[in-house]
Amino acid sequence: MAADSPADHAAGRTAGELITAVIVDDHAAIAAGVRAWCSEAVPPIALVDAGDRLADVWTGPGADADVVIFDLELVPRRPDFGELRRLVDNGRRVIVYSQHTDDATAIKCVDLGALAYLTKREGPDHLVPAIRSAARGEPYTAPSLSGALIADDAPGRPRLSQRETEVLRAWFVASSKELVAAKLNITVKTVDTYIARVRVKYANVGRAARTKSELVGRALDDGLITLAELNDTTTAL
Amino acid sequence: MSEAAEEMTRAQLRHGLRLATLLIVLGTVCGQGLPNVLRHLGSYPVPLAQLAAYAVLASVLAGEAVLLLRRRTWGRLLRQIAVAAVLAASVLSYVTLPEGRTSTSVDWVFGAANWVGLVVLLDRPLRAAVAFLVAHDLTALAHLVTIDPNRGDLARFATGSVTVIGLPLCVAVVAAVFNSLSAAAAAARAEIERVRVAEAVAEESHRRRQQRLAELSATTIPLLEGLADGSLRPEDPAIQRRCAIEAGRMRRLFAETDTVANPLLHELRHCADVADRKGVVVELDARGQWPTPPVAVRRDLTEPVLRVLATAASRARIAVVGGADLVSVSVVADSGEVDVPEPVTRGVHVETVTNDDTVWMEVRWQPTPQQTTQPAALQAS
Repeated sequence: MAADSPADHAAGRTAGELITAVIVDDHAAIAAGVRAWCSEAVPPIALVDAGDRLADVWTGPGADADVVIFDLELVPRRPDFGELRRLVDNGRRVIVYSQHTDDATAIKCVDLGALAYLTKREGPDHLVPAIRSAARGEPYTAPSLSGALIADDAPGRPRLSQRETEVLRAWFVASSKELVAAKLNITVKTVDTYIARVRVKYANVGRAARTKSELVGRALDDGLITLAELNDTTTAL
Repeated sequence: MSEAAEEMTRAQLRHGLRLATLLIVLGTVCGQGLPNVLRHLGSYPVPLAQLAAYAVLASVLAGEAVLLLRRRTWGRLLRQIAVAAVLAASVLSYVTLPEGRTSTSVDWVFGAANWVGLVVLLDRPLRAAVAFLVAHDLTALAHLVTIDPNRGDLARFATGSVTVIGLPLCVAVVAAVFNSLSAAAAAARAEIERVRVAEAVAEESHRRRQQRLAELSATTIPLLEGLADGSLRPEDPAIQRRCAIEAGRMRRLFAETDTVANPLLHELRHCADVADRKGVVVELDARGQWPTPPVAVRRDLTEPVLRVLATAASRARIAVVGGADLVSVSVVADSGEVDVPEPVTRGVHVETVTNDDTVWMEVRWQPTPQQTTQPAALQAS
């Protein structure tokens, strides 16, 4: 995401302040790995480990964390969309961290208002930027989510421009914004802009959530997208 | 070997046997039974009962004649009714038979009903015919023992039974042998068929192996020969790279003949496996659905992956994005400089982007309608 967008200040956070995140994951190794990545990040990110106790996200130090890193399947094969919705409805900024790569789940999480959807194959290269983006209230689109978005053929999906699809596709396959920029002859910042526009379009459809409406409002304020472009969805035939 | 051919053989034999048996039985029942009934009509207490019994037997024979002409067999229900009718006719005839006349020419039904029953049971297992004949004979015996039989009566009954049971039994045995013969003939045909199929398969796989060998001879065999005669040094990185590429090609070649839902992904997995064994972390991700590309196109699509993976140092990502009009295979790895392969088929294009030592090679194929075979469903890695 656009790391230096004016939205940083809109989210009421200055660059120097320490970001705190809380992780809910029943696998101790995952939590330990994420803790290591967070402490090695520059600047470091403080991590609260809630284990598999969802209550610790709502009370204690977890309640004040800027970002919730949420394992969607605390109970195997039963994705907890209900808990995700409750967190989002309470204004929490959620990164879904899942071991599954199926597209429908990824898109559903985004529709519910998660700011990022990462698969556990996607390591610190994506998780750390995702935490920083989420702390600012901004979405982060990892390659796996990009793949889900380009393969999305649901009737209510937003209409993406050719260039947006091209960038999303290239980001999915190359997994490196520098390579995408070099290939398409644009800057990394422009790559970010196209990906951000896609997320704004997705935030504008489906279920209403605070994180999503903030995203749309900010994108309109910043001129990232126009109202006409937003209202141009595939269902409006 | 088809069940139909086996059934045909059996049907031909059965038909001939049925026809022959029916003719014998008609001869017996009409030529021997009918004159006896008519000649002794005056000596029966209820002549009408004897005529009725005869009519039942005649109608069962008529039924068999109709079925035979139509090349049909007795249905399960119809067969049960016919057997019951024949036994009932036998019982009716004995009930109204003058006492002490068992197994004489007055007792016409003794030598007629056995044959009629046999006709109905000819294509059943032997035990059915035996059970029927025994039941018929016991009916006659029951009539005999109601009076106090003398030695002459018993001797007559015993000798009569030999003919009444023995002759139809011979025919039934022949029918059983025919059945087993036809099964053997069908089995022999099946065996011939199986051997022919095996020969055809062996021939085809031999042809395929020769073709594969021809394909490998251009690249793999010179490499192996060079390694064998010492002209190529295994410690040379360029040779190591060639070996890695050839290993990938061989894996791909073996994978090409597998029957899988998505051959492109299947072959990519095999290509990735070679790098995986070297300790390179390979991710394979796919999105979308695409028509199955022909083998030549699949080789063009996988060749850049082989080249890039051959020198990948630590990590690689293979991604496939497909649709009805475009299939794209991308490989990103820390491979340094890689030669760009030249696609062989039309409609395939390779693009390369390099950033430091990271290489991104993308192959795109635009299917034209005649090139595609059947659609392949998506299988995410």
